[in-house]
Amino acid sequence: MTMTDTIDGGASPTGRPAAAAVELVKTYGTGDATVQALDGVTLEFAAGRFTAVMGPSGSGKSTLMHCMAGLDTPTAGRAFIGDAEIGSLDDKALTQLRRDKVGFIFQAFNLVPTLTARENITLPVDLAGGKVDEDWLRQVTDQLRITERLGHRPSEMSGGQQQRVACARALVTRPDLIFADEPTGNLDSNSSTEVLEFLRRSVTEFGQSIVMVTHDARGAAFADRVVFLADGRLVDELEDPTPDAILEKMKKLGG
Amino acid sequence: MLRLTLKGLLAHKLRVALTALAIVLGVTFVTGTLVLTDTLNNTFTTLFSKIYSNVDFEVRGVAAFADQQGAGAVRQPISDTLLPKVAAVPGVAASEGLVGGYAQFVDKHGKAITTGGAPTLGTTFGDKPELSALHPVSGHGPTGPTEVAMDEGTAKKYHFAVGDRVKVLLPGPPETFTISGIVRFGSADNLGGATLAAFTLPTAQKLFHVEGRVDTIEVATASGADKAAVERDIAKILPKGVEVVSAQKVADEQSSAINDALGFFSTALLVFALISLFVGGFTILNTFSITVGQRTRELALLRIVGASRGQVFRSVMLEALVIGLLASLVGLGLGVAMAVGLEALLKAFGISLPEGALIFAPRTVVVGLVVGVGVTVVSAVSPARRAVRIAPIAALQGVQAGTEGNSLRRTVVGAGFGLLGAAALTIGLTAPQISLVGLGAFLIFIGVGMLSPLVARPMSSVLGRPLARLRGVPGRLGRQNSMRSPRRTAQTAAALMVGLALVSTIAVFGASLSKSATSSVSDAIAADYIVMASSQGGPPSGFSASATQTAAGLPGVAVASPIYAGQAKIAKSVTFIGGIAPKDVGSTVTLRMDQGDGPAALAAGDLLVDTTTATRDKLHVGQRLPVTFAETGPTTLRIGGIFKPNIILGSYLVSRTTFIRHFAESTLPIVLLIKTSSPATPAMTTELTKGLASYPNLTVQTRAEYEKTQEAQVNQLLGLVYALLALAIVVALIGIVNTLMLSVFERTREIGLLRAVGMSRRQVRTMIRSEAVILSVFGAVIGIVVGTGLGIALVTSLKEQGFTDLVVPWGNMIVFLVLAGLLGLIAASWPARRAAKLNILEAIATE
Ligand SMILES: Nc1ncnc2c1ncn2[C@@H]1O[C@H](COP(=O)(O)OP(=O)(O)OP(=O)(O)O)[C@@H](O)[C@H]1O
Ligand SMILES: [Mg+2]
Repeated sequence: MTMTDTIDGGASPTGRPAAAAVELVKTYGTGDATVQALDGVTLEFAAGRFTAVMGPSGSGKSTLMHCMAGLDTPTAGRAFIGDAEIGSLDDKALTQLRRDKVGFIFQAFNLVPTLTARENITLPVDLAGGKVDEDWLRQVTDQLRITERLGHRPSEMSGGQQQRVACARALVTRPDLIFADEPTGNLDSNSSTEVLEFLRRSVTEFGQSIVMVTHDARGAAFADRVVFLADGRLVDELEDPTPDAILEKMKKLGG
Repeated sequence: MLRLTLKGLLAHKLRVALTALAIVLGVTFVTGTLVLTDTLNNTFTTLFSKIYSNVDFEVRGVAAFADQQGAGAVRQPISDTLLPKVAAVPGVAASEGLVGGYAQFVDKHGKAITTGGAPTLGTTFGDKPELSALHPVSGHGPTGPTEVAMDEGTAKKYHFAVGDRVKVLLPGPPETFTISGIVRFGSADNLGGATLAAFTLPTAQKLFHVEGRVDTIEVATASGADKAAVERDIAKILPKGVEVVSAQKVADEQSSAINDALGFFSTALLVFALISLFVGGFTILNTFSITVGQRTRELALLRIVGASRGQVFRSVMLEALVIGLLASLVGLGLGVAMAVGLEALLKAFGISLPEGALIFAPRTVVVGLVVGVGVTVVSAVSPARRAVRIAPIAALQGVQAGTEGNSLRRTVVGAGFGLLGAAALTIGLTAPQISLVGLGAFLIFIGVGMLSPLVARPMSSVLGRPLARLRGVPGRLGRQNSMRSPRRTAQTAAALMVGLALVSTIAVFGASLSKSATSSVSDAIAADYIVMASSQGGPPSGFSASATQTAAGLPGVAVASPIYAGQAKIAKSVTFIGGIAPKDVGSTVTLRMDQGDGPAALAAGDLLVDTTTATRDKLHVGQRLPVTFAETGPTTLRIGGIFKPNIILGSYLVSRTTFIRHFAESTLPIVLLIKTSSPATPAMTTELTKGLASYPNLTVQTRAEYEKTQEAQVNQLLGLVYALLALAIVVALIGIVNTLMLSVFERTREIGLLRAVGMSRRQVRTMIRSEAVILSVFGAVIGIVVGTGLGIALVTSLKEQGFTDLVVPWGNMIVFLVLAGLLGLIAASWPARRAAKLNILEAIATE
């Protein structure tokens, strides 16, 4: 896949979805203690777009992400990454999918402490036994301004730098889709802006598809589209959001 | 605080179980050994008192050497003219004379019946059944010169029945007898594997060359007689050199002789049990270090909410106490099971033991508990002290577990231990004092254990490099994980280090012993053939002297030279002295003289002494040594020469003539050396074997075969030691499993993350396995280095004792290294599976 292809793909937001969920249900526990974390969610994440997922705490945002990324198995319904239905894949295929087609950015603890920044970034490629695209790596790390930090270990970096290394890792394989669960949750506003701007740019410039869970209306405003969850259901959505419009919606949801 | 500790223990059942397992194994071994030896002791004590239950007194020769008493003492037979005199003492109801000697049955296929070390006894079957320890279960006792009674054990095993003819090997030429009866020995069908041939008294006197004499007279008193008075009256009529003792004393002497032998066996087993407990101590130390490290935050939080340093210390120690106690209790139970198993095993090997209850002495419980709890608690002291040093502020800092560096203090203390150990070892080896050697090794191990964190990081890095190259990212991660906490790596490896150090020491020792033994065979023996009684690994036993004449008469035999050995008191100690014909020196044995002319001195009736003894006792040629022989009493022998140590001749040597003059006629040769007119050929071997076929207990070996036998004996011993050391290695492996398990738990998040970004299960397993291999190879390398050093020190110090060659078996060491790596892989399999199965989501969610 060349970069032009990606950009072309991204240029048609209405093209095939990067990921999709059909009637996704996730139930935790049994009997009285049953929690319906997802209650029949159907949605698509378009390729080459930046989607934000919002909703009150406990509304099922993380659960949705985990189920769609193949980290968790839904109780019912189906989830797709590209054409692959996650439920039909065994552990080996899922591992490969995560390695090659999906990128992750978590809120914290994104990096392996014994590895340097560079080793952390290239980890998915190395695990696959592949060859790192040095130009691409250079481009990404330059953008993220961590090129000089590549030899450092996580313990020698600030939280913001660590999150930017995590962004680089998520991007290095040029995955079909990046899942980010509150990637800026632990960062101050300057550092978050940096990370969010980068995510935005990677969608616009490289045609990357991104799904980001966030609590922050200002952060969600970087996205092309915001979907709202409440009690495990998809309740609303917003195209080309502004912070004010988002806050408005959130207020309605009582979040 | 107690509740908190117990709750913590419950929450970490797996960890507790793994930690305890190391101690359980050690305590099991200790308990099993003690229970088994106590049980055997008791069994034999009961057996002997039963055997002597019908007898009140025994009349016997006094011990020939005053400082040698008890059952093993050399005693002269007494004149049988004493028999009627003793019988005539008032109050004596019955008395009879006993004679014992070498008598070995030959089975129906013409093969000598061997016992695996137990004696092949010849004895008398008295005409007074009320006195005898032997009870016929079928047939009757022997009545004439052609009859023999056989023990039930042998009869059963080799299918002999009353009326069968059986060939018996004797000090003189072998003879064939008719079985008149099958007998029991006390209540047992045999005595610890020994075989028994009982003859009439006159037959036994003739067969064992003691005509006119008996070994002992057994006496029973009339009911109602005053025993003390009877004993006094018997003593009155006894000539000088003969004594009367109570049957109880004889029974005690005999059981204590057996118990001493068992004691040696028990001590040996206990040493290995203690070694594994010591190794277990490292495991405990390591587990507690890791968990204290992992609980830094929790412990600091306790300090913030007001726990005192003392309370923190006590909570860690309490945890150790509880684990130690649990483990010891389980170990005690398993130990009893082990004793039962071992007893069954002995029986399976044909050592039939009289029935007896299992003895579970209070001492066993105390020792098991003290050792188990003691090791656990002592090992936990250092981690507990570390816990105490945790500052309350640590609760607020994200302290990463196990990243501590190397402290100067530990280095200094470790070096101190090492030096102290080396000093103790040196003194112990030169003294020589085995307990100091042990202490030295112990201190060295602790010292090395404390110092090894210094090299853990660089060594893991070097050892892990090939893995990182071969195994890609997982290998690299495994290598980095092993470098993460040098102390953890070193402590985990230390357990294996101790095990492998001991194995390597034994390897060096064994290889050197083997080499020294074989090179001394070629140095010592010029004969083409060595003929010995087969003893199945036991001490060499004697054989019929008449075999010499038979061998000498065979075609192709140039010289047949018997070598004798017997006990005598030389200067101050009772020791063995050898006898050989001077004219055979040179043709059958190689006597390399330091001083004097060997054959000439022997022919002149002089004593030859080997260099080791001469140096030790500062002896010189021309000196006269006081020597006491059991048969002929005190005399002096002139030292006629000093010879280089010779494997087959021992330390003191006289001519065969001198030897025979001072020893009873019944004394047996132990080796027959044969020089053939042409070098050994298979045809010649067959010829000799055929020629000596009437002595089925003899094995004919060429010199090369004999060398191999020597080597095989050493290897057999080594095999046994290795097997026992395996216990320590197993404990060390448990330690590795434990550490890896704890590391896996500690790195749950990290592993989850790796899985999320695309690490496959197989790669996770590879990562853990790589770490394990690095850990164990690291331990093995240090262990092999330390052990080789110890082995070299040991062998060097034994140079005078005949360790002429120092051999370091590098091939073996490489095998050990590879094995250690493989064992590491095995140890990793469970933690690796565990890590691979981690639920990614839960791993990520772990706070
Ligand atoms: N492992 C679990 N076992 C039981 N219930 C769970 C589990 N994980 C999540 N839940 C429940 O499922 C519901 C959805 O949780 P989820 O983590 O998806 O919410 P969220 O929208 O991500 O919330 P937040 O904004 O606080 O991160 C919650 O009610 C939660 O309590
Ligand atoms: Mg969440």
